[in-house]
Amino acid sequence: MGVTCVSQMPVAEGKSVQQTVELLTRKLEMLGAEKQGTFCVDCETYHTAASTLGSQGWSAMVRSQLTATSTSQVQVILLPQPSQVAGIIGQTGKLMYVMHNSEYPLSCFALFENGPCLIADTNFDVLMVKLKGFFQSAKASKIETRGTRYQYCDFLVKVGTVTMGPSARGISVEVEYGPCVVASDCWSLLLEFLQSFLGSHTPGAPAVFGNRHDAVYGPADTMVQYMELFNKIRKQQQVPVAGIR
Amino acid sequence: MADVINVSVNLEAFSQAISAIQALRSSVSRVFDCLKDGMRNKETLEGREKAFIAHFQDNLHSVNRDLNELERLSNLVGKPSENHPLHNSGLLSLDPVQDKTPLYSQLLQAYKWSNKYHAGLASGLLNQQSLKRSANQMGVSAKRRPKAQPTTLVLPPQYVDDVISRIDRMFPEMSIHLSRPNGTSAMLLVTLGKVLKVIVVMRSLFIDRTIVKGYNENVYTEDGKLDIWSKSNYQVFQKVTDHATTALLHYQLPQMPDVVVRSFMTWLRSYIKLFQAPCQRCGKFLQDGLPPTWRDFRTLEAFHDTCRQ
Repeated sequence: MGVTCVSQMPVAEGKSVQQTVELLTRKLEMLGAEKQGTFCVDCETYHTAASTLGSQGWSAMVRSQLTATSTSQVQVILLPQPSQVAGIIGQTGKLMYVMHNSEYPLSCFALFENGPCLIADTNFDVLMVKLKGFFQSAKASKIETRGTRYQYCDFLVKVGTVTMGPSARGISVEVEYGPCVVASDCWSLLLEFLQSFLGSHTPGAPAVFGNRHDAVYGPADTMVQYMELFNKIRKQQQVPVAGIR
Repeated sequence: MADVINVSVNLEAFSQAISAIQALRSSVSRVFDCLKDGMRNKETLEGREKAFIAHFQDNLHSVNRDLNELERLSNLVGKPSENHPLHNSGLLSLDPVQDKTPLYSQLLQAYKWSNKYHAGLASGLLNQQSLKRSANQMGVSAKRRPKAQPTTLVLPPQYVDDVISRIDRMFPEMSIHLSRPNGTSAMLLVTLGKVLKVIVVMRSLFIDRTIVKGYNENVYTEDGKLDIWSKSNYQVFQKVTDHATTALLHYQLPQMPDVVVRSFMTWLRSYIKLFQAPCQRCGKFLQDGLPPTWRDFRTLEAFHDTCRQ
């Protein structure tokens, strides 16, 4: 996984989401990029339900659930500590996002807004069904982005339409530079590339780049960026915008 | 014309052959005249036919005779000699319009000039850029070449280990790991910061070949051994591998191989800023999707491959 930058492209004046996406893809093809299939990133939101069980009870409950499903070989890479869980349960209404990325088809990402990000096997979805008592799915919260992948030299560009239910809400642009794994090293290089096809809509450096100075970039950072993008688009929805059709 | 073609032609036979052609032409036209005139008026049909046939036969015989004469004479005439130096292009000298297009003389002059320079000065200049890394002098004949191998090729492995570990300590951001999975030749895995990994295959203290791969790429085969053959998946590192091979040919000093290894590692270390340094010539980061991958051998400045010169 190389350094990735996820940003939103504002819809062009007087044009629909579809037309703006087409404009972008045409610019990419003129640059010399090649189409390489499609991609999809989706996100579901869960509320933590208020629970009468203490932290001990919760971990016992989780352990029993895990043993019940261990026959289906759930591989959990990072388990939040009981103390963290206790802290979370104490605050009701904290949101947990469960995301999938077609770039990693066998993985499932679960993350909190400022908290840890868990990378698990796809059977995690099944586990979430069993944890219905603790995590309740927010109504009509599924948001996803779908589109085409383009390859240009060592860059992987994904332009997608963000949809919530049946309506298109915005455009997401993701650029990954494979060879580099340290974010602070190649930001200027990425910026130059972004400018070549986004022009004036080039974003600033993502927040995750500032947090991890010399640490190796990982897929969890990409999912955090997507989560922030989806939240921004969700908030945009609350303001009635007449331009977006 | 500067040169005259040396023609050993039998001039006597030549003129005779020309008159023989004229004789042949006239006898052939007589045959056709006879045919055209047809039979002469005689008393009987038989007589007419006989006379016609006799006449016709005479004419054909004379044609035959003239043709044989011509063949005999043409064999005597002989061919112009093949002594001129340019074979087919020598036929250019037969061009009658020499003043307007002096092709033949210019051709001869160009040929003589290139012969002179190739034999003399050019060979010295062209052989200076020798890409051979052996210590043998060029031009020493096989007999005079020393039979024993030069001492730099047969070094104890301990010495090689020492040199490599000393270079390892030279630069903090570069770490070198040495292993000998296949016999006595050392294989180095050089890790440069978090930017790239280089696999260097050596032959005693000489560097044989290198492969440059990304920091997150797998450098081991499925067996766990060092993979010294597969190329990188990224175009950037494929380019850097080509540049590294060029560097191996540039840094050469057959008598002091450890200096060579040291200078190669110093050059390699400049790649720590592969993604951060803009090109010194055009000032941009990307050219055709690639960052500046060339590092000048003397000044270690970053250039794009296309901005190099």
